[in-house]
Amino acid sequence: MGPEKMKEIITDVLKDVDVVIGYKQGFDKLHATPCFINKAEQIEEIIWSPVCVQNLASFLPSLKAKKVGVVVKGCDSRTIVQYMQEGLIDRSKVVVVGIPCTGVVSVKKVLDKVNHQPIEDVVFEADGAILVKTPAGETKLSLADVSPDKCSTCLYPTPVVYDHLAAEPIKSVKAPEDVYKDVEEFEGKSLEERKVYWEKEFDRCIRCYACRNACPMCVCQDSCIAESRDPHWISQKSNLSEKFMFHMIHSIHLAGRCVECGECERVCPMGIPVNALKKKLNHDMKALYNYEPGVNPEDKPPMYTFSVEEKKIEEHKL
Amino acid sequence: MADTGFIPKEKWGAFIEGLSTKAQVYVPCLEGDTVLFRPFGKEKTLCFERPANSPPKSVIFPQSDTLFSFTFIKDPDNPQKTEVELKEHLDFPKTIVIGSRPCDAKGFTVYDRPYTETDTPDPYYKGRREKTTIVTMTCNSPSAGCFCTAVGGSPADKEGSDALITEVEKGYFIEALTEKGKEILQGPGVEDGKAYQGDATKKQEAVHSMVKNPFGPKGLGKVSPELFDNDEFWDNAVSKCVSCGACTYLCPTCYCFNITDEQTSDKGERIRTWDGCMYVHFTLEASGHNPRPTKFQRFKNRVGHKFSFYPEKYNGVIACCGCGRCIRYCPMSVDISEIVSNLQGA
Amino acid sequence: MANTINPYLPEIVTIKNVIEETPNIKSFQVVFNDPERMKTFTYEPGQVGQLSVFGVGESTFVINSPPTRMDYLQFSVMKAGEVTAALHDLYPGDQMGVRAPLGNAFPYEQMKGKKILFIGGGIGLAPLRTLILFMLDNRADYKDITIIYGSRTPPDLCYKEDLNEWEARKDVELILTVDAEYPGWKKKVGFVPTVLNEVAPSPEDTIAITCGPPIMIKFVLQNLAQLKFKDENIITTLEARMKCGIGICGRCNLGSKYICKDGPVFSLAQLKELPGAI
Repeated sequence: MGPEKMKEIITDVLKDVDVVIGYKQGFDKLHATPCFINKAEQIEEIIWSPVCVQNLASFLPSLKAKKVGVVVKGCDSRTIVQYMQEGLIDRSKVVVVGIPCTGVVSVKKVLDKVNHQPIEDVVFEADGAILVKTPAGETKLSLADVSPDKCSTCLYPTPVVYDHLAAEPIKSVKAPEDVYKDVEEFEGKSLEERKVYWEKEFDRCIRCYACRNACPMCVCQDSCIAESRDPHWISQKSNLSEKFMFHMIHSIHLAGRCVECGECERVCPMGIPVNALKKKLNHDMKALYNYEPGVNPEDKPPMYTFSVEEKKIEEHKL
Repeated sequence: MADTGFIPKEKWGAFIEGLSTKAQVYVPCLEGDTVLFRPFGKEKTLCFERPANSPPKSVIFPQSDTLFSFTFIKDPDNPQKTEVELKEHLDFPKTIVIGSRPCDAKGFTVYDRPYTETDTPDPYYKGRREKTTIVTMTCNSPSAGCFCTAVGGSPADKEGSDALITEVEKGYFIEALTEKGKEILQGPGVEDGKAYQGDATKKQEAVHSMVKNPFGPKGLGKVSPELFDNDEFWDNAVSKCVSCGACTYLCPTCYCFNITDEQTSDKGERIRTWDGCMYVHFTLEASGHNPRPTKFQRFKNRVGHKFSFYPEKYNGVIACCGCGRCIRYCPMSVDISEIVSNLQGA
Repeated sequence: MANTINPYLPEIVTIKNVIEETPNIKSFQVVFNDPERMKTFTYEPGQVGQLSVFGVGESTFVINSPPTRMDYLQFSVMKAGEVTAALHDLYPGDQMGVRAPLGNAFPYEQMKGKKILFIGGGIGLAPLRTLILFMLDNRADYKDITIIYGSRTPPDLCYKEDLNEWEARKDVELILTVDAEYPGWKKKVGFVPTVLNEVAPSPEDTIAITCGPPIMIKFVLQNLAQLKFKDENIITTLEARMKCGIGICGRCNLGSKYICKDGPVFSLAQLKELPGAI
């Protein structure tokens, strides 16, 4: 199961596609890195474990000219559905290798637990325990304790779309009403408290745009208003108002489009919880339009449609 | 050595606080899970246990810096005519950075060559650099992805620092390396350091051997020109790169910048801001032509600059300090040391 | 360098005259607001300057008037982006900023006593103009001067006054061409590289200097090689996006060389040593 089955599938898939995107080990055992496989001998490098965090579906729009196989977890698979809704990929040119997933690790959380020591080894045990070896010794962790928050409310452990499945499907045991619990809790705070919170968080932003460039749905990429001089809505200054403006626009452009893969937050080198903003907007989109991004290819994102009257939006009574 | 001192652990806080009354002091502070250089304040949580997420380069090379401001003045007698007045901003406060790492300090020496050792020195960088004292801390252990010893550095390297502090059992051993560094020894609570020199040396040597060398036993060899100019090599090496700027913005040696005018009504500023060669806009010309349109060309330039172009220009010096931040914080775990390793000729 | 203390600080100049060269190219003749500076300012043919429209930004242009004619400095601007559009909105009497001179110059000393072949296309005549006028002002120092210049259509030819003058002179051979037939056009028709082959100048004792759109330069270099010109006798001047103008900001590098500081003038022999240049 898992890695071995995945290798078998990819060996087959590789015969019909130009490239298969999977995972291999990165610079240490805690880091996986995407690998672009176009030769059979690369297949041995493939890994599958909870360190396989990146959303590989993000590469698909830039590889539109090719026929591509891609390994996706449940959460990542929603990207593919969203791409289909928005016409960003040609589904017939994509072979989806789904991998049911019981949760990945948050590298930041693991490093915190082992005092940021260099990683010598990471072993995942059958019972969900993780053994992390550093020069300071061995630390036993449980996956649940070091998973990103998105895993704790995951409703789609099995990909929602796939052509091959590399393991037995898993049913979610999580409650749908818990998905936006964090958002609701945060909204309980006063406006002033929320402002102070976000100002403190955004103060750290270095405008590296890792959140934007790693975002599968940030399709403007090279013509982003963050760098545009025409319109010149955001200056290049490194102050709070400009950073705030960038993140607001990033979030609003993702309203009802964000598939909640959490890449924006995972890749932030400054540890800013930017995913919360996108979740907040998705929560609103759910409330207003009963829409959930990236689950049904037949859906239309609400911001792609227009109705003179929306059932749940009260017009200004003039 | 005469220019040494020792600060007992219990006096460490007071020492930093004392320095902060004489100069603007930047220290690594913990904010959430992130360590950042911030101006010292009693309310801050100081963190010297691991390298900061971003190097202290912003202290001397701020992410955005005003080169000058401009004001338009209308001629009252001839409203058609507008004069423009420019005002430079070249006042820099006395500053001390405490807790930079040897790699961070080496980063400033990489800046120094193009920014100060030329016929057109950069007055903003030079001004801040001269007013800043760099107090570096020996690393207690390597961090994920770091490889300083493979690029000519070490966890106790002195290049670029004014003073080097090494944590020993009972406190901190200080070595002053420059005149500016000697001033640090005048800080509150500094005792005679002679007795701790031995412990500090032992500690420094012990960490040295723990740093990984990604280039094999022979060390970093010459970049193979055939591989360097092989498009397929780069395409394979960086197909996973998302072309963001995390690697360049977190790099102690990356010094590229942008200059833009930011205007409001009748006045504005010409600012200099960090920019990165990984962005598609960086070289995009008004005509639409882009000399480095693909991410592999941009990545090749970045690696080339550090390991080939800069050394060519400056006597073989590698413009990489091996801090590992570009590896540690890369969204896709692109590993520059692996790429450079693969670039070496047979 | 303009300002030895702060290389980023522009000097203020006033526009004396604006010439509409073509539908999208204007030349600006400017003088320093400080009359003393006009006397102390020195530069060499081929050097460039950064023009500032405050509030919009800076862009790089060659000083295309020669140092032998110091009544004003002339820059020619093709409308392409934000800064050039703002420059096109300026009129005589308006002010702008200048940082100059920047970069290197044509090796005009080494060209003395040689035959000179200029090959230009479109706005690419701007840097050549500086050197042509400089050589005409020092005519005895150089042997035959041949200029092959072309543009898309006749209205796109720059510096029409100069072209008329050069055409009338006996000591300059000017060959004009446009890309396609055009009503009333009686001179050559064809791309510059093709015309170069027709003219087939001898490489003997000759320096070729070329500037124009990248695609033109590419074929001109190929054809010069066919005509047996040596790489070190082929000179071109490059442009790239520049910000600092002093070899730091990282945009305009070709390997370890910066176009703004080590260039913009390079021989083909030098360019062949630089990654990504050719």
